[in-house]
Amino acid sequence: MKRRNFLRASIAFLGSVTFLSFLYPLLRFLAPPGGESKTKKLTFLKSEVPVGVSKDIVFNNAPAIVINRPGKGLVAFSRVCTHLGCLVDYDRDKNRMICPCHAAIYDLEGNVLSGPPPKPLPKLPLRVEGENIVIG
Amino acid sequence: MFNRIKNWLEVRIGLDDIVRTHFTEYRVPKNMNVFYTLGCVALTGYVIQVLTGIFLLIYYVPHPEHAFRSVQEIMSKVPFGWLFRQMHVVGSNLMIAAVFLHLITVFLMGNYKRPRELTWIGGGLMLLVTLTFGLSGYLLPWTQLSYWATTVVTSMPTAFPLFGNFVAHILRGGDQVTGTTLGRFFALHIAILPPIFLFLMALHIFLIKRIGISATPFGVSDEEKRPLTQYVRKTHPDGYPFYPYFFQKELVMVMVYGFIMFFIITFMPTLFLPEEANTPADPFKTPGHVRPEWYFLAAYQMLKLIPNKFLGITIQLILVGIFLVWPFLDVYKEKNILKRPILRGVFLFMVALWVVLMFLGRY
Repeated sequence: MKRRNFLRASIAFLGSVTFLSFLYPLLRFLAPPGGESKTKKLTFLKSEVPVGVSKDIVFNNAPAIVINRPGKGLVAFSRVCTHLGCLVDYDRDKNRMICPCHAAIYDLEGNVLSGPPPKPLPKLPLRVEGENIVIG
Repeated sequence: MFNRIKNWLEVRIGLDDIVRTHFTEYRVPKNMNVFYTLGCVALTGYVIQVLTGIFLLIYYVPHPEHAFRSVQEIMSKVPFGWLFRQMHVVGSNLMIAAVFLHLITVFLMGNYKRPRELTWIGGGLMLLVTLTFGLSGYLLPWTQLSYWATTVVTSMPTAFPLFGNFVAHILRGGDQVTGTTLGRFFALHIAILPPIFLFLMALHIFLIKRIGISATPFGVSDEEKRPLTQYVRKTHPDGYPFYPYFFQKELVMVMVYGFIMFFIITFMPTLFLPEEANTPADPFKTPGHVRPEWYFLAAYQMLKLIPNKFLGITIQLILVGIFLVWPFLDVYKEKNILKRPILRGVFLFMVALWVVLMFLGRY
């Protein structure tokens, strides 16, 4: 190999290595640092959610909802619409959940009834312990 | 005194030569119409945004607990804060309108055709950067509207499998829009986008000067009929001098721009600041009628109408891609759109579709 070509290849190699060695730290820098503690369990009184009423909660740092469905009991969902992240609200009169952004409608099992969401609302683990509701 | 400064500069940088070559002896086509001034109008709009943005920076606090209040204080307590904020808000909308109009008129006059493909792509990229300016600035006042509009936009990448969630995560700095997102959008708005925009603008102006201005296709034939085998700068030796002939036209249009801006600020101050834009962001309550600024309304409405998230966003990306590479897709040499009925029909259809979607998104 000629000296000139060798120098060219060396500079290209060193330049690429220098660039790539900064790429990983940059991606790590841009990714959120995390470290926010997650809620392992959330407990509140059953009386706070009478039949036909919902309660907005925050679980694992994300908005969620607990609904006491008439005749079907308690259920908890993430409130974050699976379409583009707006928060769904419980429509008591029509027994469904509605996203105000793109008019998505979910039933009270979390299934998509209409609108553009690609998947159902994620259900959260819920159990009743005596007079308390425990999420998580 | 003025002459002494002029002479001082003349012997050092050759001021007369600059004025002669770029203004008084720089000739532009005789049939250049008023629409050619829109680029200069958009540039003036950008300068206004930079200046008012710098003034706002003095009082704005980019923190979720202070952002909303600091903007309210700019509007109500800081002397003439309302003026500079209104100029920034109204100016951002008018600048985007000017850029849109500039692109539409360039399209209608066929001035994107070879050898000006790069000028078109550069202009298209500037439009995208301008829209990103609008989007990133929209979040900064930390209002209900801005918070939820940002939530929707930063969720868009999640439509794409594999890398979508990662991109959304990087954009927001977490799972939701938080103070971290505000910091990122603030950095984007004031530090990352301006140099990108300046580079694109410098490239755009360089290309216009280097390739030469294209005449309008109306009344005369201006097609590049020669085979493109070597660089030739387009000149107009029989044209009018840029200064004062075209400069005056630009000045008039800049005044029209200023008139519209101050008319809106004076008589329609809530046009771009509705009631919802004065409500602080609540991450646990999506308001009933979330909607983005007018220039994103059509895209927003498309997402409502297309029942598949991936499809809705992919169609929009394809449309943006077609828009950027349009000079390579339109291979006809004829520049005059009046002689191209199909292109004219497609253009009118697209404009009508855009207006209808915008209207549906608004109401």
